[in-house]
Order: sequence, then C-alpha cells, then structure tokens
Amino acid sequence: MDTRTPEAPVLRAEGLAKSYEGWTALEELSFQLQRGHVLGFLGPNGAGKTTSIRILTTILAPSSGRFEIGGVGSERPAKIRPLIGVLPETLGLPNQITGIEYMTYFGQLYGRRRAEARTHGAALLELVGLRGRARKLIRTYSHGMRQRLGIARALVNDPLVLFLDEPIVGLDPRGQQDLLSLLREIATERGAGIIFCSHGLAEVEGACDDVVILSSGRVVASGSVAEVMEQARRTSPGRTGLRLQVPTDAVRRATEALNAMPHVESVAGSIVEGQLEVTMSTAPNTAPGVDAEFNPIIENLIRSDIPVLSFEVEGSRLQDAFMQLTEEGVR
Amino acid sequence: MSAGEAAHLEAGNDRRRRSSRHAWIVVFREEAVELWVGGRAINLLILYSLLLGLMTFLLATNSELSLIPPKEMVFLTLFNTISFGVFIGMIIGADGISGERERGTLEVLLLTPASRRQLLLGKLLAALTPWPAAFLISIPTMLVVSQGNEVFGQAMWIGAALGSVLAVAFAGFGLLVSTWSNSNKTSMFVSLLVWLLLFLLSQLPGEVQKGDFGYFVQRLNPMQASSEFLEKVLVNNRTISEKAPYLRSSWIAALLVLFLLFVIAAPRLRLVGGRAKRMRARWGSLAGMTLTALALICLGASAMALGRPSFQTKQSGLNVSIDETYVEVKTGDEFTFDTLLENDGSEDSPPVIMALNIIKISSSGDVVDPEDWSPERTQYVNSVAAGDAVRQSWTIEAILKGDYMVYLVAIPEPPEGASSDPVSSPGLHMTVGAFQALNPEGVLPVVIAVPIGVTLLLLLVVRLRLRRLARDEPEEAAAEPV
Repeated sequence: MDTRTPEAPVLRAEGLAKSYEGWTALEELSFQLQRGHVLGFLGPNGAGKTTSIRILTTILAPSSGRFEIGGVGSERPAKIRPLIGVLPETLGLPNQITGIEYMTYFGQLYGRRRAEARTHGAALLELVGLRGRARKLIRTYSHGMRQRLGIARALVNDPLVLFLDEPIVGLDPRGQQDLLSLLREIATERGAGIIFCSHGLAEVEGACDDVVILSSGRVVASGSVAEVMEQARRTSPGRTGLRLQVPTDAVRRATEALNAMPHVESVAGSIVEGQLEVTMSTAPNTAPGVDAEFNPIIENLIRSDIPVLSFEVEGSRLQDAFMQLTEEGVR
Repeated sequence: MSAGEAAHLEAGNDRRRRSSRHAWIVVFREEAVELWVGGRAINLLILYSLLLGLMTFLLATNSELSLIPPKEMVFLTLFNTISFGVFIGMIIGADGISGERERGTLEVLLLTPASRRQLLLGKLLAALTPWPAAFLISIPTMLVVSQGNEVFGQAMWIGAALGSVLAVAFAGFGLLVSTWSNSNKTSMFVSLLVWLLLFLLSQLPGEVQKGDFGYFVQRLNPMQASSEFLEKVLVNNRTISEKAPYLRSSWIAALLVLFLLFVIAAPRLRLVGGRAKRMRARWGSLAGMTLTALALICLGASAMALGRPSFQTKQSGLNVSIDETYVEVKTGDEFTFDTLLENDGSEDSPPVIMALNIIKISSSGDVVDPEDWSPERTQYVNSVAAGDAVRQSWTIEAILKGDYMVYLVAIPEPPEGASSDPVSSPGLHMTVGAFQALNPEGVLPVVIAVPIGVTLLLLLVVRLRLRRLARDEPEEAAAEPV
C-alpha cells in the first residue's frame, strides 16, 4: 500500500542503528521530517549525530533499521543521493578555482549541461549572498563564505532534504544568525526539509521546528522544541531553578531576601556579575501553572527595593532541556 | 507523492541519466584544470625540463659522456622521459582518492550521482596527462641528440606507445592504492616502496640477471623489461618481434591494474579507506619478503654461476681464420669482416656452431655483451667436407670506446651423450674511438629553450587566469556578506 500522501514526511527513519565490532554508535533512531521543516540533531560529542547524518546520506549503511526519503527506501542509496544535499562537517573546498566554477562543476556532476549549471550555480550563489564573490578564488573566502558556498553547493540539485553537519561552527554570532535565517528561508521558500547538527543550542532553538536529542548513541528526546522542553521538565519535577540578575551592590540584600522565602532551598550568587542562581523545591504534582509560583519572588524583591534586571526560569531554554536530558542519558 | 515531488524526482532521474554518461569527462576536466592551472604539474615539468637540459648538455659536452653514440642518447633521453612521466603519474594517482579524503572533499563527491567508476576514470585520465606533456617537451632534445639518425622516428612511436601503457599501469596503481588508503602518507609510502623495489630488482648484479630465472625476473619488472626492450630495439638493432616478450609485463600490469581499479576497487570505494593499517602491514611484509627473495636470488644465481661442471673434449680437424687482424672504428660505426672455417681432417665434420665473442682488453675486467654489438652472434654450418672450407660474414656495431679482441669459436656438434672440442680463431684487434660528431652548439639552444619554453607556458597560463579573474571583477557587486 502506498502510504505517501501530500502530507507525508519527506524523510521517515525507523529504528536506525549502527554498530562497529561490539561498539554501538547509534541505536533505535526513529523520526520524521516534514517538508519545509527544520530539524535539529543535538547531542554532546560522540552522541551519534554525525553517524546519523552519514547513515541518512547513504555514506554509511545502517546495521539495522531503514529510512525513506521522498518515498525512496534506503535499500536504494543511488536513488536517494540525487534527492539530498549535504554540507559535511569537514568542508573541504578546492582553493584554485572560483566559487562559480565550483558550482558549475557540481552542477555538471548532477547532470546539468555546462551553461545551465553555471546559470543555476550563479542563482544559488546569489541566494546565499555570495553573488559578489562568485568569480573570486575560493582561497580568498572567509570561513562564513565557505560555509555559504558549501550550502549553495548542497542545493545544486534542488534537494528534497538538506543535511548540514555543524554548519555554524566557527562563525561569529552575526554569521550564525545570518546562516540560520538563510536555512529558514530555504526551508520556507524552497520547501526543503532541513536536518542539521549543532552545538549552538541558543541559536538552534530559534531556527528549528523539531529536535532530536542524542546521547551516547541513544535518542533521549524528540519532537517539537516545546515538546522536548516539556519532556525535560517532566524528568525532574521535584526541583526548579531560577536565574536572576540584580545590580552588583544589591546582591547581598537580594540573597537575604530570597533565603527568607518559602520553598527556596539555596541561593548562589556572584557579587561581581550580579548573577543569582536560586534552587527551589516544589511539590511533585504542581506541573500545570507551576511558573506562577515564581511571581511572589519578584514581588518580594521589588518590595525590598531591589531592581530585577533579568529573570529566567531554568528549563525555559532548549539548552536547559539539553543539559537535563543528556545528563539523564549519561546516567 | 505530490505532483511537485514527482516532477522533482523525474527531473532528478533525467539529470542522473545524463550524469552517469558524462561524469568522467567533468571529473577529468576539473582534475586536469586543478593539476595544470593550479601549477602542480607545470612546476614539475619545468623541473624536469631543467634536468633534461642539464643531462643533455653534459652528454653533449663532457669528454667522457660524449662518447655515447646518438642511438644510445636517444634511448637514454626517451627512457628518462618515460620514467619521469610514469613516476609523476603514479604520484598524482596516489593522491587521487586519499588526498580527497584528507582534504574532506571526498564525501560530497561520493554523494553525487556520478558512479564510482566514472570518478576513478576521470581521475586516472587526469593523472595520465603529465606523461604526454613530458614526452612532448623531450622531443626537441631527442631530435637534436639523434643527429639525424633514423632511430628518432622509431623512438617516437615506440616511446609513445610503451610510455602510455606504463603510464596507465603506474598511475592506475597509485590510484588503486589511494582508494584503499586513508591518508596520502600511506598511499605515497606504498607507491614509492613498489617503485623502489622495481628499481632494486633492476640493480641486481649482471650475473644474477642472466639465465632463465634472471631473464624471467627482468621480464617481470615492467620498468626494467621496457628499458631492456627499448635499448635492444633502438640501440642494438634488434627487431620488435624478437624482443616482444619484454613488453608482456607492461601490458599485463596495465590490464591487471585497470581490472583491480574498475572491477574490484571502484564498487567498494568508501568515504573511509579503513584498510590503511592492514595494508601497511601487508605491504610491509610483502616488501620484506621481496627483499628476502631478491637476496636469495642473488645467492642462488651466484652459486649456479660458480658451480658449473667441467667436461671432456674430443679433437677435430677444424680451424678458423679471420681476414683482418686490426681495425680502427668510432662508436656507432658498423663494419664487417669474414671468417674461413676449414676442415683439415680426413673426415667430413659434424654440423658446426660458429660463435662471435668480444672481449675488452683491460685490467678492469669490463664485461662486453656481444648481443649488443652484433645483430647475428652465431651462425650454423651444416657440415664441412674433408679438405674443404666455408666462409662466413660478420657485422659488428661499435658501442663503447676502448680496445677489444674479437674472435670466433667453432663448436662441432657433439654426438649424443659426449662432448666436442671447440676451436678458436686468431683475434681481431678492434680499437673503438670516441664519437665526435655531436655538436654541443647544436644542443645548447635546445637545452636552454625547452625549460624557458615550459616556464613561459606556465607564466602564460597564470597570466590568462589572472586576466580572466580581473576581467570579471567589475561585474561583482560591492556588498560582500560575512
């Protein structure tokens, strides 16, 4: 039975695993990717992210499990390759040719005629913001430009799914934001599904629709960003943390005020930076609306005439969920 | 599947079909451009043209080396060119895949619809390009050193054909090793080790290289067999068909490498070589075994040479005379002389084998290979009637300067199970003088012009490239992203 419908995912992985002579690099990876969605593969070093990408891009054969891209099963890797674009972790680029020559070369390898490959390559370079550098030798490109060129090359065959392994490593914050905006644009306008690995959790959070968190080769959480954070919160319902920032001269007073409050277990602070980390104990069954219990803390500080410069509930960021879940995974 | 996805897949299939047909041309062009426009190959060619010029100049001007006749100089130049072209091809081939692995560029190549065979074919063809270039730049030199000798034309076509076969064998071998190696260091090590082993085999003592086994080893080594073939055909007037067995190893090596590369290695080409350690160990032990075998060969051959049994002889009424006692020639000259085989006995002689020998008259004991000096070293005489005589004509081409004694030995065919008594002729003293016709002034312009020409070619390529990049500059937008 053909289960593919217009809403069918562009990528469906079921129970993918990879072992090497008694060592398991990846086990039971299952997820789906919708057209136009961005999925982040997160995990500490050695979690199995690159292994996953290499299996999904047909570079490695899985020990078990299978996947489909655009309805083509992993049993036919040669048929899958034209459907995907890949930016590998190690982005090797030739130095002696120009960006447009590089794009033309790959366009031709994907079966385009020379003139067509050049025109298409120029359009892609424009898409990634490299139009002005198209005829410069690649050796003159900055790291960010090389990443963009790599992405342009990965799009040369108009892929259904684009894989990017650590695309923002080595980029400055502005470069990271630009690149992630570009990825969102590619997903939205070209309708490609995008999968990327990254350690830049704060940046990934805003760019991803879905995430898969891996730890020691196992999937410890998957789903939308909100679902994964909720999952992390559920794993330790008994403790909650807060991060506060107050003026440095108010750290001592704020610490005293916080210690006097109920449910506050401990307060750790830095007088130099004005940062305070508050650990609270909450009842086990207070999940819905639990965040409202933090309001009295702010009220108390304001009443004590202590300015609150910033206030953040631990677990409200993807990074917290990542730390929480990968820690659990390691245990 | 949505209509959009279906159209996408169909367009992809169409492009993939096109890619599968032409990918090797695309890869070849890209690799060749990187090799030549990038400067790697041209730099090596400049280096080679300088070395070639220096060697030719020395040959032409040095009083000792200039004794070499034109034929031999053509042979030396041609074989050096082949060795260079083949060696560079092997080194470039050895970088083909392992270099891509090291630079992190292999993964994206493997992900294209281009088949592994097409990728390897494109890379192999690019690795072969230094050979014809080296051959082309050596043509003016060969033309000059040949001094109008007809050997030039023969050297051209034989060299082109044989060099191409060897280039395929060695560039293919380098590429083959490269597909299995994770690093350039490994593939270079293995390739150079094999090259060194082949060189060592050719350096075995002369005595070891004689005999059935010695000749077998010579023929087994493609480089040595090719050298032997070229020397005998170009210098020693042997026919191609006579020395054709020496070509077999080159052809077999080329075909074997192509088979291993495209039938065995190509379908197994992966992102990670994964066999480097095992290969290094395997090649290391292979090298060890080969060196041991070489040592054993040397020992065995020496033992065989020393252990020949003596034999009993039987008197005959034959004697041999020569119509000359002294001759003075120059290297490269040909001369003929006659011998008379007389039967002074009372009975008809049995069939007689007449053998030509040339001995250098010096205390150094230099060995002379009569095969190099004479196209017909033995003649067979059916029988000489009692009191009768038979005349033979012999041709000698003087190869090296020096004083030599030429003499003939008549060997009566012995009866079954017995021996016979060889009879020696008087000696013909031959003095070979230096070849003086090579004009250094004729060589100098070539040895200077060739490196300059190649360097100018490099500068032209770089200049054209820079001009093209500069011409495109104004079209570029001012804004540059991160």
